[in-house]
Amino acid sequence: MFDILPQLLANSLITGSIYALASAGLVLTFALLRFLNFAHGHLMMVGAYTFFYFSVAHHLSLAPAAGLTILCMALLGSIVLRVFVQPFLTGNSLLPLVTTIALGSILEAVISIQFGVNVRSLPLQSGIESLEWRGIFITPLQIFIIVSAILILSALAFLIHQTGFGRRIRAVAENSAAAESLGVSRPLIVGVVFLVSVILAGFAGVLVGYETNIQPTMGGSYSIKAFAAMVLGGLGNIWGTVAGALILGLVENLSIGLDFGGYSLPAGYKDAFAFLTILAILLFRPQGLFGTRQRTT
Amino acid sequence: MSLLFEAITSEYTIHLCVLCGLYLILAQSLNLTFGLGQLFNLAHVASYAVGAYTTALLATEAESPFWVCVTASVLTSGVFALLLGAIALRLSNDYFAIGTLAFSSVVSSLLINWRSVTHGVLGIPGIPRPDLLGADLYQNSHFLALMSIFVVVTQVLFYLLYSSPFGRALRGLAEYEQAALALGRDTRLIRNFAFFFSSAGAGLAGSLFAYYLSYIDPSSFSLGEMVFILTIVIVGRPGSYWGVIAATIFLVLLPEPLRFLQIDSAYLGPARQLIHATLLFSVVWWKRRVLFPQQRQV
Repeated sequence: MFDILPQLLANSLITGSIYALASAGLVLTFALLRFLNFAHGHLMMVGAYTFFYFSVAHHLSLAPAAGLTILCMALLGSIVLRVFVQPFLTGNSLLPLVTTIALGSILEAVISIQFGVNVRSLPLQSGIESLEWRGIFITPLQIFIIVSAILILSALAFLIHQTGFGRRIRAVAENSAAAESLGVSRPLIVGVVFLVSVILAGFAGVLVGYETNIQPTMGGSYSIKAFAAMVLGGLGNIWGTVAGALILGLVENLSIGLDFGGYSLPAGYKDAFAFLTILAILLFRPQGLFGTRQRTT
Repeated sequence: MSLLFEAITSEYTIHLCVLCGLYLILAQSLNLTFGLGQLFNLAHVASYAVGAYTTALLATEAESPFWVCVTASVLTSGVFALLLGAIALRLSNDYFAIGTLAFSSVVSSLLINWRSVTHGVLGIPGIPRPDLLGADLYQNSHFLALMSIFVVVTQVLFYLLYSSPFGRALRGLAEYEQAALALGRDTRLIRNFAFFFSSAGAGLAGSLFAYYLSYIDPSSFSLGEMVFILTIVIVGRPGSYWGVIAATIFLVLLPEPLRFLQIDSAYLGPARQLIHATLLFSVVWWKRRVLFPQQRQV
């Protein structure tokens, strides 16, 4: 039963890294603006298709395709922030939820019309063998996923906890009015954080495209996965969410990988396990695994 | 030639009427929880699926008669809502939305993966049309007549619910919970009732849907379908009885002219989705100050 455990742990780390990149941006915007971006998974999907467009349809090499994708995602991010998010932040808290649902639906429809509804994948360069280390098989791409997740999240940690700009982000997240009265430019902070969030989503989408495949309808389920990571870690808790993403990867892979006395679950159930985990956390520990219970006034 | 054209158009009109009826039941029942109760219920489509699969399984495996299937669907969906309510009603705001979404995702994952029961993505084919009073319900026009009875009955029932003390209590809870509590209203009980009726309505719609198409698969109960029902309620103004009826008819018919344009059928679905989503966003933009009233202050 346990001889495949190291491989499962490696797989969990790979899945968890992608989820961590996807949910890091989501939790940052939630911490600042207190709204759930339902279109976050759809933005991942758009990132993957934009990269597909430049690298496959236009045969650009990696660096220019990546640069153009980041540029497009930043542009899309600023439009989304101006049109779909900011006008709705002052009213009822249901409003931004509904507008981002509409946004996700619009993005899905536009990409389906442009690229068709079929499954696509980003092609890897041929001739790359997967490596073996003590019985664990891992491809160079998967090593890249893990390393890039570690690097990007470390850079994010440095930005938030070690720089003056990061202190301003934390100040706005903690108490927006007080921060503004001390001269922090809230629109600048919100703009930068939202763009970082959208670009991270796009990057995670490209990784998904290389690791598995892409489809216009994939957005919804990745939104839910990112919510799941956030709920596990506690809404608005950045490092809790990153840990939640890794736990989510672990739950998904272990639930279908391990066989319990000759009985193992089919692979399709791993999503169900992820969602059941959210429900269990919401019921028994609503502040998340790493959060502290907040008192309402 | 003109006769053939007439035959096609009439079958087509009947199909549109059946769709309108189906969505009238679905949207009006969501209006009870989402509109009146201001509960951001994203699991409505799961109730719809539970109703449809209950009928499909009973009608094909057990060959149960029509009334048994419909009643079973309504009750199963209703009880399903109590299970959902037991979890979701303990949550508020964003957590409520995430909780119902997660619940709905568990259901759709079961529909796809529990192959021994639901046949997975292949779906359940061969659901026979009901056998009632010797009427030939395989004719769509006759099925439409049967459907209209159910639509009228549910719309009247929902109208009565909206104007009943229960409806007013539900509305009051959404506007100012503490005041309703102070007047001795049992929050949990009222919201559970709302969930039950709303979900039972979706179950009925699911049952009729399964009979009408005679084939169901998980793709009919996707997140996209949920977004469409939500769009109807929002465009019709949440909590407004007549608004939702008007919006249902408008939104079901709106993308139909696309069929007569020379568009590749692969683009029809996404084009319809684009129209609906853009309309949803425009309405929310236009009505953003009044759509969801700020909670009342005393």
